[in-house]
This record gives sequence, structure tokens and C-alpha cells, in this order.
Amino acid sequence: MSTATFTRKRSGWALPRFMTAEHPFPWLAPITVMLLVFGIYPLAYSVWLSFHKRNVVSRQLDFAGFHQWARAFSDTRMWHALETTLIYTFIALAVQLALGILIALLLDTDRKGYGILRALMTLPLVVPPAVTGMMFLLMQDGSFGVLSFYVYALNLISPAQPILTQPVTALLAILLADIWQWTPFMVLIILAGLRALPKEPFEAAAIDGANGIQTFLRLTLPMLRKVIAVAVLIRGVDLFRIYDYVYIITAGGPGTATETLSFYAGRIYFTGDFPYAATLSLIVLVVLIGVSNLFVKLFKVRF
Amino acid sequence: MEPSRAQMIARDLLAVLVVAIFMFPIAWWALSSIKPYSAIFDRSGPVYTGFKPTPDNYRVTLLGVSRVEIGMEQGGEAAGVIKGGANSYDSRQSLLDSAIIAVGSTALTLLLATLAAYCLSRMHFSGQQSFLFWILSQRFMPPIAIVIPIVFMFRDLGLRDTYTGLILVHSLINLPLAVLLLKSFFDDVPREVDEAALIDGATRWQTFARVVLPMVKGGVAATAVLCFIFSWTEFLLSLFLTTSIRTVPVKISTFVTSTATEWGYITALGTSAIIPSFIFILLVQRHLVRGLTLGSLKE
Repeated sequence: MSTATFTRKRSGWALPRFMTAEHPFPWLAPITVMLLVFGIYPLAYSVWLSFHKRNVVSRQLDFAGFHQWARAFSDTRMWHALETTLIYTFIALAVQLALGILIALLLDTDRKGYGILRALMTLPLVVPPAVTGMMFLLMQDGSFGVLSFYVYALNLISPAQPILTQPVTALLAILLADIWQWTPFMVLIILAGLRALPKEPFEAAAIDGANGIQTFLRLTLPMLRKVIAVAVLIRGVDLFRIYDYVYIITAGGPGTATETLSFYAGRIYFTGDFPYAATLSLIVLVVLIGVSNLFVKLFKVRF
Repeated sequence: MEPSRAQMIARDLLAVLVVAIFMFPIAWWALSSIKPYSAIFDRSGPVYTGFKPTPDNYRVTLLGVSRVEIGMEQGGEAAGVIKGGANSYDSRQSLLDSAIIAVGSTALTLLLATLAAYCLSRMHFSGQQSFLFWILSQRFMPPIAIVIPIVFMFRDLGLRDTYTGLILVHSLINLPLAVLLLKSFFDDVPREVDEAALIDGATRWQTFARVVLPMVKGGVAATAVLCFIFSWTEFLLSLFLTTSIRTVPVKISTFVTSTATEWGYITALGTSAIIPSFIFILLVQRHLVRGLTLGSLKE
């Protein structure tokens, strides 16, 4: 009888099943709470804000229905920022991917010294983006920038129209910073992909007399498909929400020429119009979710 | 067909040239940090050599020497050096702030992420794929979309402009990477290891903490480094959520003022900020690709 009591007592005190280590709950609860409180709740708050309006007199937020959304869709500055963001994303992605493949092929060899070159190529990745922005601001300064100097010397641009004062060259200035910092990302990932390729198909191709370009287009590139898809997805998302380089290098200028969507949202935030800033930031999110989901489905990316 | 000797040399030269181009901005930056004021702002052309290297920019940003003192040491040039407002260029506090936040958020991230990653690697439950996808989707959240409400939230909770606040948001941003990356490392450990430990009488927690975790310590270290670097380099959230605590990237951005851009101090602090990142990243080269692709590509 005493054992029976003991057992009953023990079962009475035992943790509920979901609290034991055999259940996922205790393992996942902390991270779930964290993501809900600081990820999902703010998002919901943003959505709530986007349906409100600042009341200048009472300093309260009044419900305003779709006012902010209608405002965004008829805001030419928003469309311009969206266009700039898309142009920026596509150019940067294309250049980074192309350069990334070429440089990866160049560095993919076991010869002596190439290990050091590959290691050096990783360095730009860890420079704080704000510092990268500053680096390119310094180099592209209109009067003493080293890059400006050579661009003037080659007669590509007149010193009367410094790089950062013209809409097109200012956007290129930001793109250059991005390309410098993130091409190494593509290089590293594609290098890893190249190193993981099986040897046999290439030996067969060589026996069949395929030349370098044929082998690359028909064999290497298709086999790297998965690797490239992952790299493009991650990079594409980061590009689309670009903020740092714009803030540092051009501050959206000249005028609003290089304003990206995230930057425009930030700028509105600093004017104090929080509901509209939240609405703009949600547009970034919505476009991002749409495009990345489409991409994941099209290229069957798996994590 | 073996490439000829000439082809190999041409390839070597091209490879070195390409890498040199990518190193140029860093080299130019570091070089600028030891230039005197006049050499940085030389309008006649780029100054590579022929200037007298000076530690003054580092003395101001890292040692807190006042620019007036340096101006007085230099005598004649003082007038040109001292203009530029009352901004404080002493950045020791910023380096400390950045370090506290980076270490704190790395620790918090690892704590939460190892638990979740072990579970996601070892257990099967309904909705597991959706849960993973939910975590991944957080990685793709644009910071601007959450930072505005977080400003209000932190104001109400008293977390605005605190270490705790920034540690929490940096952890939030790092968690998806850490969970997916650590899961990929746990996946490398065969399940038989867990089963053997459990049969030997270890509890599930003991199996996790004493058996499996030590086996992936290389992966945990790599994850820690990536989290640290991310926090160390993060800009937008720190900019929005702090006013008196200034992480290094935000501090640097304040050196650009309407009256003057203090390139000497900017490059000195910038160089100091990238050196720890460079050392760390060279330590985890082996796991870098896995980290960059959230664990989906293994080397």
C-alpha cells in the first residue's frame, strides 16, 4: 500500500507531458515567445498603425480605414522609391551574380597561394555596412575622392558634375558599394558549389572533346542551379530592403533620386508621421513576401 | 589539355589583380586613417605616399585626447584642425557599447537557438516544417517594418536606449540564422549517438547538454562568431532605438556633420571597428558558406 501511495504521489507531482524534455514544448517555447513578442507583435502593431491617422490637434491616433494605403498608392514619391529599389535590386543581383561566377571560377584551383586569395575575398563581407558606405563616400567625394579623381582623369565625368550630385551616377555610387561588399558573398557560395561538384561528368565531357565554354554552360551552370538559387534568394531579399548605404552615401539625394522604399519609410518616420511610415514599411514587406515566395516555388529552394 | 605555363601565369596575375581591386577600398581607408588633415583633403590628387604618418586620429577616437590639445601641439595648423563643432570624437564608450551588445545578444541567441535547433533536428512533431518556415521567414523580415512599433514598445517598457533593448532586437534578427545553422550542425551528428546515451540512462537534457552539444562545439563557435559580427555591424535598428548609447556604426555616422566631415576620425574608428571582424571571420572560414546560406549548403 505504501508503494501505491508513493506512485500516486509521484504521478501527482510529475510535470504535465508537454513540459517534459520528450515534448518539443520546453525546447521551442523560449524562441517562440521571443519571436512573438519582438517579431509578430510589432508587425501586428504596424498593420494597426497603417489603418490610423495622426490627429494633429488631439495628438491621438484616429481610425482612418484605408486612408494611408490609398495615400501610398497615389504617392508618386512612393512609386519612384519602389522603382528605384527594384532597379537597384536587379542591377546589383545581376552584377554580383555574374562577377561572383567569374571570380569563383578564377579562384577555384588547388594551386599554391589561392587559399590566401580566397580568404582575402571574404573580408569585405564583415565590414559594417555603415563603414562601407563611408568608404565609398570618401572615395567618391567630389573634390578629394580618389575614385572621383580617376573618373575625372579618364574624362568619364566632368568635375563640374560630381558623382554624388547627379541622379544616375549617385545611384551607381551606392550600387558600387553594394557590389564591392556583396560580390564576395556570391563568390564564396559558388566556390563551395564548384568544390562539391562530382568529377566524373567533367572527365566524360573532356573525353568527348567539349571546350571550356560548352562545359561551363551545359554542365557546370545547370549543376550549380540549386546553389545559385539559394544565393540569389538571400541576396535578393537583403537588396530589396536596402537602407544603410543610401542613408550614408546619398541620403536619398540628389533630391529624392536615390530614395529606396526602406529609406523613404525611414525618412517619413523621422518626420513623425508614424502611421504612414508603417504603411510604407509594410509595402516593403508585402512585395518581399510575394516575390520571394514566387521565387522559392519557381526554383524549388529548400532550407 | 593542360594549360600552358604562360596561361597559368596569366591566371595568377588576373586573380591577384581582382583580389587587389577588392582590397583597395580597405587599404585606402586604413591609409587615410594615418594621414594628416591636409593629406586627406588634398584636392590636387590622391595621396599615396609622401605624407608624414600620424597617430592623431587614433589618439582622438581611441584614447580620448581632445582635438584642442592636438591642435596646440601642432601650433600653426591648429586653426584649421579645431573647427568642426563640439561633437565628441572620443569613441571609447561606443566601442564598449558595441562590445556589450554584441556579446550579450550572441549569448542570448545561442541560448535560445541551441535548444530550438536540437529539438528541430531530433524530434518529429506535426507542424514542424511550418515552424521552421516561420523562423526562416523572420530572417526575411525587413527591419524597417518592425522597428517603428518597437520604438513605441520600448518606450512603454522603458527599454529604449538601453543595452537590454538592443540585445533583444539583435538577438531577434540573429535567431533565424542561428537556429537554421545549428540545426544543420546537429543534423550532422547521427541519431544513434542520442539513442546510445538514452539507453545508458542519460536523460534527454543530459544527452543534449553533455553528449550532443560538445560534439557540435565547432559549429556553435562558428554560429557565435557570425552572430557577433552581425550585431557588431548592425546599423538601422541601433540608429532608431538609441540616442545616448551609440554603437560604433551609428557613432561613425554622427561624424558627418553639416559643417564638416571628419574623415580622419571616421577612418580611424572605422579601421578599429573592422579589425576584430577580420580576425573573427578568418577563424571561421571553414563554416562560412554554411553560415551565409543559413545552413542549406555544407562544405
